[in-house]
Amino acid sequence: MIKATRIFSIVAALLLLLLLGSLFRLQVLRGQHYQRVAQSNFVRIRRIVATRGEIYDHKYRPIVQNVPSHNLFLISGKIRNLPALSNFLQRHFQISPEELEELVMKQRFKTYEEILLADNLDYKQVLALSEYLNYFPELVFRIGSTRDYLYPNHFTGYVGRINESEYELYKLEDYSINSYIGKTGLERYYEVLLRGKDGREIVQVDAQGRSLELFKGESLVKPQNGLSLVLSIDNDLQDFAMRAFPAGIKGALVVSDVKTGGILAYVSKPDYDPSLFMQRISPEIWESLNAASKPMLDRVIHASYPPGSVFKPVTAGLGLEGKQIDRYTLLSSCVGGMKVGNRFFKCWDHSGHGRTSVVDALKMSCDTFFYDLSLKLGLENFHNYVLESQLASPTGIDLPNERIGFFPDTAWYRKTFGKNVGIIGHKVNLAIGQGETLCSPIQMNAYFAALANGGLWIQPHLLMQTVGRGKLTRDEVQKVQKKRLPLTDTNLKIIQDGLWAVCNAPGGTARSVQVPGATTYGKTGSAENSMGKTTHAWFCGYIVTQKPEIAVTVFMENAGGGGAMAAPVARQIFDYYMGNIEDIRRPASIPAQFRTAEDDLEGLNGDAEGGDAHDASDTDTGDRHDQSQEI
Amino acid sequence: MINRKKFDFLLLALMLLLIILGCVAIYTASSTLIGGQMSTQNYWWKQIIFSVLAIAAVVGVLYLPMPVFELFILPAFILNILALVAVLFTPAVNGAHRWFNLGGIHLQPSESAKLLSILVVARYISKEGLNEYKQMFYGFFIMLVPIALIMMEPDFGSTLLFWAALITMLVAADLPLFLVLLLISPVISVVASVHWLVILVWNLLLIYLLIRSRLSWVTITVASIVNVFISLIMPVFWVGLKDYQQNRILTFIDPTRDPLGAGYQIIQAKIAIGSGYLNGKGWLLGTQKNMNFLPEHHTDFIFSVIGEEFGFLGSSLILLVFALFFGRLIFGIGQLKVRERKVAASGIMAYLMFQSFINIGMNIGLVPATGIPLPFISYGGSNLLINSVSVAVVLKYLNERGFMK
Repeated sequence: MIKATRIFSIVAALLLLLLLGSLFRLQVLRGQHYQRVAQSNFVRIRRIVATRGEIYDHKYRPIVQNVPSHNLFLISGKIRNLPALSNFLQRHFQISPEELEELVMKQRFKTYEEILLADNLDYKQVLALSEYLNYFPELVFRIGSTRDYLYPNHFTGYVGRINESEYELYKLEDYSINSYIGKTGLERYYEVLLRGKDGREIVQVDAQGRSLELFKGESLVKPQNGLSLVLSIDNDLQDFAMRAFPAGIKGALVVSDVKTGGILAYVSKPDYDPSLFMQRISPEIWESLNAASKPMLDRVIHASYPPGSVFKPVTAGLGLEGKQIDRYTLLSSCVGGMKVGNRFFKCWDHSGHGRTSVVDALKMSCDTFFYDLSLKLGLENFHNYVLESQLASPTGIDLPNERIGFFPDTAWYRKTFGKNVGIIGHKVNLAIGQGETLCSPIQMNAYFAALANGGLWIQPHLLMQTVGRGKLTRDEVQKVQKKRLPLTDTNLKIIQDGLWAVCNAPGGTARSVQVPGATTYGKTGSAENSMGKTTHAWFCGYIVTQKPEIAVTVFMENAGGGGAMAAPVARQIFDYYMGNIEDIRRPASIPAQFRTAEDDLEGLNGDAEGGDAHDASDTDTGDRHDQSQEI
Repeated sequence: MINRKKFDFLLLALMLLLIILGCVAIYTASSTLIGGQMSTQNYWWKQIIFSVLAIAAVVGVLYLPMPVFELFILPAFILNILALVAVLFTPAVNGAHRWFNLGGIHLQPSESAKLLSILVVARYISKEGLNEYKQMFYGFFIMLVPIALIMMEPDFGSTLLFWAALITMLVAADLPLFLVLLLISPVISVVASVHWLVILVWNLLLIYLLIRSRLSWVTITVASIVNVFISLIMPVFWVGLKDYQQNRILTFIDPTRDPLGAGYQIIQAKIAIGSGYLNGKGWLLGTQKNMNFLPEHHTDFIFSVIGEEFGFLGSSLILLVFALFFGRLIFGIGQLKVRERKVAASGIMAYLMFQSFINIGMNIGLVPATGIPLPFISYGGSNLLINSVSVAVVLKYLNERGFMK
C-alpha cells in the first residue's frame, strides 16, 4: 500500500508544476506579447445606454421627448496633468477641483467606465472648446440624449444624474454612476418602465488601429429601449386649463374623466419648467425655484388643505346613511348661526337661512344645518365614513409621495388635547370641512367623480397604456382600484339633487356655472385657514350629458369665496370641454411608429417561452456583472 | 501549552509570511495612481486588523485544552448546520443568501462549515472497526448535508472544496485506491460524455485499472456498465435543459463564451499577469490595475496584481512560499499517528491547497472563474480567520503528537 502522504506530495508537486509551467508560458514566453496588448489595452466594456421612453398625451401628442445633447466625458486613466485639467474644467465648465477629486478618486473602485462630467452642453461651447481637447486626451465630447419637457407641469417630474445614495440603493439594478434616474413625478414613478435595459459592447481601441483578436463570437448585448407612456392627459385641455387659471394665484386645477378615472388636465400654480433641471442650474434660477410661492410644490397631491364647504356632501351622506335625516328632515333654524353649548357658531351668511332640508342646505351651503347634524353623529363613525369615502386616505394616483390628508378621531383628540377634551365643538367644525379636516385637491376630485359615477369610486390615474418596445395596458401595469362609496342609490340621488341645485336652482351658490348641452353639478367652498385671512376658494363639480363626463376641481389658495373665484374657472373648463367634446372624445389613431412596434411585439408574444428563457439568461449575466464588476 | 520540542514553528512562520505578503499585496491592489496622485482605499489596514484577530484566534485554539476542543466539535457542527439553514431565509445579496448581517459585520456560515465538516467527517470515518464501504458511506452522507445547503444559497464554487476534502480524507483513511476510483468515476463519466471517443477511452482505462486492482469480475462488470450508462444518459439530460441553463454550464466551462461577463475578467487578468513579464512593472505601478481594467483586484484577482507588478520572479516566489507551506503541512501529516487527526489534517491540507490552486489557476486562465479567494493573501476577514484556525488545528495536533489515547 502506498502511503497517503506520498500521494499528497505527488499531487502537490504536479499542481505546482502545472501552475509554474502556465505562469512561465504566460509571463516569459508570451510576456512581450501581453506587454504590447497591455500598452494598447483599451479593451473595455462600454455601456450602450438604452433610450428612455417618451411620454405622450392620450392622442399620442408628445409631452416629454428625447433630444440629442452634447456631453463631456472623462477617462480617468488617461489623465496626464491633473492641475491643468482641474484648471480647464473650472474655467469652462464650472467644475471645482473638489468635485473633480470626488468624481475621479472616490469612485475609482466603482467604475472603469468613462465618467460623465457635464451634460447637455451648449453646442457653441462644444465647438469653441473642441480644439482645446487636443491638450487633454482624457476628455471627450459625446452625443447623448436629454429630456425635453414641452410645457411646465408638475406631473411629469424630471430626471437627473444618479446621486451617491441612489446609486448605493439601485446599483444592483444595473445603474452606473453616469446613469440618469427619475427624480420626481411620473419619471420617478414609472422609472422601471421608462428606463429600459442598457446594452454592452466590447470596445477595442488600439493606438495603431490594429484589431486585437481577443474575443471570439458575439460581443454585443443590444440595449432594450424603455417603454413610452401614453397618459390620459389631453394636451389641448391641459393648455386651456393652464391659461384659464387666473395669473398670480396659487392653487390647483384637476379635470378627470368620470367613467375611467383618467386625469385629463393636471395644473398646479405657480408652475416651473422641468427642462430647467436638464442643465446646470444657475443660482438665480435656483432662487426663483425656491421662492416663497413654492413653484416646485405640486398642490394637486403634495399639499392638503381644509376643504371647507366642498366637504359637506360627505357629512350629508353620513347623516342620510345613518338615518339621522332624510330628504325632508328640517334641522334647527339658521339665524346666522346656532348656539352649541355656550358657544355661538356662525353661519357664513349672517342673515340666516331659516330651517332647511339637506338639499337646500347644500344649495345655499348653510353651515347651521351641518352644525346641527354633527350633534347627531358619532366621531368614530364620522372618521370611518370619511376614510371609506376615500378621503383622508391615499388615492393611489400613479405619482410618488402623495399626501394623505387628515381627519381626526377621538383617540387623536385625547392624545393632542388631553383626556378631558370636549369633542362636540371640534365635531361641529369638522362637519363643515374645517377644524382639523385636510384633503388634497386630487382626493376631492376623485370623490366628486365617484358621486357623478353612481357611487363608484375609481382610483385617479395618469397612465393609460405603454407603447414602444412593449405594449402594456393600464391594468397590466397596475390594476385600477374601484370601490363603492358608502351611499345607497336613494341617498346618492339626494346629494346629487343638492349639487344640481347649487348650480341650477335659484339661490344656489354657483348659479353662474351652467353650460349648454350638459347639466352641471357642483359645490363651492370658502375654507378658513391658518395661512392667511382670506379664505381658500374651492369648487368641485361635474357635468352630465347622456352619461357623466368630467369632474373638475378648482382650488385657489387664499383667493376668496369659492362661488366668486373658483366656480367661474370651472365654468370655463366645462364650456371648453362641451365646445370641443367631439375632438376630445374621438379615439386617436395609433401613429405609425408605434403600430409597427406593436406588430413586432405580437410576434414575440407568440414565442413566449423563448422570450422567457432569454430574459432569464439576461438577468443572470446582469447578476454576474454586479457581483464582480460594477460598471 | 506549547511543547517547544514538538511545536512546528516553521509551519507557523510560513503561514505568517503568507499573511504578511497578503497585506502588502492588498496595499498595492487598493492603491491607484492617476496623473501623479495616489489614493489608497483602507482595505490593507482592515486586513491588518483581521490578521491580528486571526492570530489571536490561532493562539486561542492552541491554548484550548485538547479534550475541550474535541468535545466542542460536534455541537459546533450542528449549530453551524442550523446557521446554514437559517441563512437561506435572509434577504438575498447579489441574488444569493450567504451572509448574516450583524450590524455591518457580515458572517458567512459556509466558511466555518468547511472546517467543521472536515473535523466531523474525520472523526466518523476514523472510528475503529469500520469497513471501507461504511467509511465511504458515512463520509459521503455527512458531507452531503452542508453541501446541499450551500448549493441552495446558491454557491456552487464552495461545494467543490468539500468534495476535494472528502476524497483526500478517504485516501488518508487508507481507503483502498480502487474504491476512491469507483467513487469519483461517475463524475469523470459525466465529463467524458462530451464525445463518444472519450467515453470509450475512459471506460477502457477504468476497466484496466479495476483489473489491476484484482477486483472480482462481477464488480468490474457492474462498475463499467454503470459508468457507460451514465455517459450515455447525459446527452438526454442535456437536451432536457432550458437554453439558458445550457448556456450557464457552457459558460462555466468556457468563459470566453461570455466575453462581457466572466470571460472579460479572465482575459483582463491574463493581460495583467502576462504583461508583468520577468521582473514586473514595479511596486504600485501596475498599469492594468491603475486603470481599473480589473474589478475585485484586492480579493479574487489579487494574484493578477502580484503577477503584473512583480513579474514572473514575484509570482514564482509566492508559489514557492505556498509550496514550502504545503510541503511542511504534508510532512506534518506524516508525523501524526492518531488516525482521526491525520485524516482531519489531510482534509484541511486539501481544502487549503485546492483553494490556492483554483484561485491561481483562475487568474492565469487555467480553470473557470468560480469566485474562490486565494488563502491568506486575498482580502477578506472570515476567510482569513477560518484558514488560520484550520492551520492552528493542525499545529495543535502536531503539538500533542505522541500522546496516544
